[in-house]
Amino acid sequence: MTNLKYRLLLIVGLVAASVFALWPRTVIERVKRDGVFAYDTLHRVPLKKGLDLVGGMYLALEIDESRGAVANKADALDRALKVVRTRIDEFGVSEPVVQKVGDDRIIVELPGIDDPERAEQVVQKSAFLQFMITDETNALERALPRLDQIAKDAGGAATGVPSATTDSGSKQSGLEKLFTKDTGARTADSAKTDSAAPVIPPTGGTISGLLQRGDMPGEYYISQANVPRAEYYFSLPQVKAAFPPGKTLKWGADTLSLGGQIYRTIYVLDSREILNGEWIFDAKPNNSPIDGTVVEFQLTNEGGRRFRAETAKHIQDYMAIVLDDRVMGRPPVIQSAIGTRGQITLGRRDLQQAQDLALVLRAGALPVPLKIAEVRNIGASLGEDSIRRGTTAMVIAVAAVIVIMIGYYRFSGALAVGALVLFVLFTLAILASFGATLTLPGLAGLVLSVGMAVDANVLIFERIREELDRGKTVRTSIEEGFHHALTAIVDTSLTTILTAAVLYQYGSGPVRGFAVTLIAGISASLFAAVFVTRTFYLLWLTRSSGAQTLSI
Amino acid sequence: MYRILHDTKFDFIKWWRHAAALTAAFILIGLSSFLFKGGVNYSIEFTGGTLVQLRFAQPPDPSELRATVGEAEITQFGNDTEYTLRLQGSETIAQQASAAEGVAKEVEAKLRAKYGDGFTIVRTEAVGPKVGAELARGAVIAMLLASLVTLIYLAFRFEWRFGLAAVISTAHDVLITLAFIKLFHIEVSLTVVAAILTLLGYSGNDTIIIFDRVRENLKKARKEPLYDTLNRSINETLPRSVLTHVTTLAATIALLIFAGEVLRPFSLVMTFGIFVATFSSIYVASPVLLYIERKFPRKDLQGRGSHVSASQARAESEADSPRPIRGAKTPAGR
Repeated sequence: MTNLKYRLLLIVGLVAASVFALWPRTVIERVKRDGVFAYDTLHRVPLKKGLDLVGGMYLALEIDESRGAVANKADALDRALKVVRTRIDEFGVSEPVVQKVGDDRIIVELPGIDDPERAEQVVQKSAFLQFMITDETNALERALPRLDQIAKDAGGAATGVPSATTDSGSKQSGLEKLFTKDTGARTADSAKTDSAAPVIPPTGGTISGLLQRGDMPGEYYISQANVPRAEYYFSLPQVKAAFPPGKTLKWGADTLSLGGQIYRTIYVLDSREILNGEWIFDAKPNNSPIDGTVVEFQLTNEGGRRFRAETAKHIQDYMAIVLDDRVMGRPPVIQSAIGTRGQITLGRRDLQQAQDLALVLRAGALPVPLKIAEVRNIGASLGEDSIRRGTTAMVIAVAAVIVIMIGYYRFSGALAVGALVLFVLFTLAILASFGATLTLPGLAGLVLSVGMAVDANVLIFERIREELDRGKTVRTSIEEGFHHALTAIVDTSLTTILTAAVLYQYGSGPVRGFAVTLIAGISASLFAAVFVTRTFYLLWLTRSSGAQTLSI
Repeated sequence: MYRILHDTKFDFIKWWRHAAALTAAFILIGLSSFLFKGGVNYSIEFTGGTLVQLRFAQPPDPSELRATVGEAEITQFGNDTEYTLRLQGSETIAQQASAAEGVAKEVEAKLRAKYGDGFTIVRTEAVGPKVGAELARGAVIAMLLASLVTLIYLAFRFEWRFGLAAVISTAHDVLITLAFIKLFHIEVSLTVVAAILTLLGYSGNDTIIIFDRVRENLKKARKEPLYDTLNRSINETLPRSVLTHVTTLAATIALLIFAGEVLRPFSLVMTFGIFVATFSSIYVASPVLLYIERKFPRKDLQGRGSHVSASQARAESEADSPRPIRGAKTPAGR
């Protein structure tokens, strides 16, 4: 009797704990609304749903080595992780996930994001700072005749180049993207879209006609109207291949007004950077009467040493400050070796921008450029669909199992159904308390485990029937039935748990979710079928002691 | 008490030759399909590439859609307003190398030019080839490790003969499921791999239930030939097998019918796998155990060893003639 009392207490306690684990929580959520952070109070069941159920965005970021190899990847990635996390927090999504997977990838999950483009920008905005020396050797001019010829041939081959007259604002942002991605693949992309879109045939034809020499070595002006065409030519793979080795092209960030004409600057730089943002120790915005808005930065001692050594080699050269592949301001001339302190001139930009830049430089400069290796976008409507269908399948599976169990085992089947209800409750509670994410495959695993969960009960009931066949009393049959069925149940549960553990270890994303659901399901089923059903029987036996028959 | 298949005395193992021929034929057809028609369809998770799922306001003309998106592989997804576009070529992969989302955006631009706002993109996935290769490796490692772990566990809990028989039976299940996936053109995604791995566990369970009974019956009736013990054990666990398979089938069929297109490959593989698991625990695991016992008889049971060979030989010579099972007494008699 006392045994039974403890059993009941344990079950009631676990049910209470499960209900508590699943009880809707009050969560305070930080969300960004119209650019302002607000705190929302929400009531929510603490069972996290995966992106495939709520919709949202998944990104896998990898170190982009197209601009040069990265020495200490693991360390760089660790720091990049912090940066991405800070930025995502600034972005204001509820319950984002930012974590390192393996030693070369960062994954970002943004549930409920409906503006994937913006999210991508925030994550990828690298704030990758480089100091580079402008070309002193007129390399571009010497190569121009060759480049002109290539561009001319290519211009004839393609049906056209982007129009310079339409909507220069949006064009420009697209082009910015074009140029920051330094591969031939992009070109194929632009060539294809161009052939589909209405185009204006090229008028200038060649590259040299677009360029005007600037004030300093390696600086060129391109009139705003010609920027798209220049972009197009410079992005051609043939042009890139013929570009002077060891040199690289970077656009200036600002426009320049000369004699009523708007120009963009473009710089030819030595490909080798003399220093990058990795060495920045501190950065703060300032307002200088001469330069306008500036960001003053301080390098670490080691960075300062390197900077001093490098700048000493380049006295009287111009140093371009390149942020995310854009040359910031006009490259200043190096008067003397620079040590640990320097500044980035932002010119006409307002102080807010200087503050943002200082922030990313200080805490947020990515130590390495990152590229998006994997993207998944799942629309919210698709997620809702999946939940609805998954739930329907679940309800029908449960109903079918209930009908089969009660139809075949009658009273005992009803006990098994009671255990099944507890099984579902326990499984969900385990998932909630381990902070597991419920994915669509996880949901499938749950439905499947409902079908499999009764297996243990079936084994037990069949055993009890066998014992009853041998003419044993009801009480003894139940005892023996449980006893004999136990070894098989334990063996099957353990092998499945081991398999699920292997899955968890070597699977990723959705498969892990599936493995967790499976493990939670089997543990819950083991307890529900063996312990709970047995307690139900014991309860029934004490209520109707001396029962001669068992409905099974 | 309502009962099905109670106290049956089928000679299951007698049919092992037929069963072996059947399953070998299926596997061979599947494998030769691999040889002549290339591998299975891998999802972009494994090959790398881009997938775009579209929901149209009006059902689009499929050929028009095909013309719009060019080289993409187009599949109707459920009803006639939903389609998935798949780009898995090497060109796509190269284009994705710098920025994964590039191809998807290009496809969207093409579609916008043609259909304007007449559709919504409900899902995009762009995966690099490196990620896919890692996943594939992970899946293979998971499968091998899972088998190894099962083998070790069963060797520990039973003995190595049972473990080996169970693992061979599981390997058979994986092979036949692969043949099924190949023959029915099921796309192999991570979820399908999860289904295969679940089947490993499920089929293992079935085998363990029967072997557990064999172990118990071996202790009870030491003089009985293993052939008969196996048959008796299968018969005794038959009601359990049927009932569990029916409830699990109820779940997978519910998934198949109601859970929608995304889970369809998973549900199909699971449904097929349940039949395979039942089959293999009776017709693969048990004959293999018989074979192993004959090859490596237990030292402590010399008598049994010769019994096994005798009955095995008989089974082979009399495979087609009906024969009552010896030793399958009614349980009440003991």
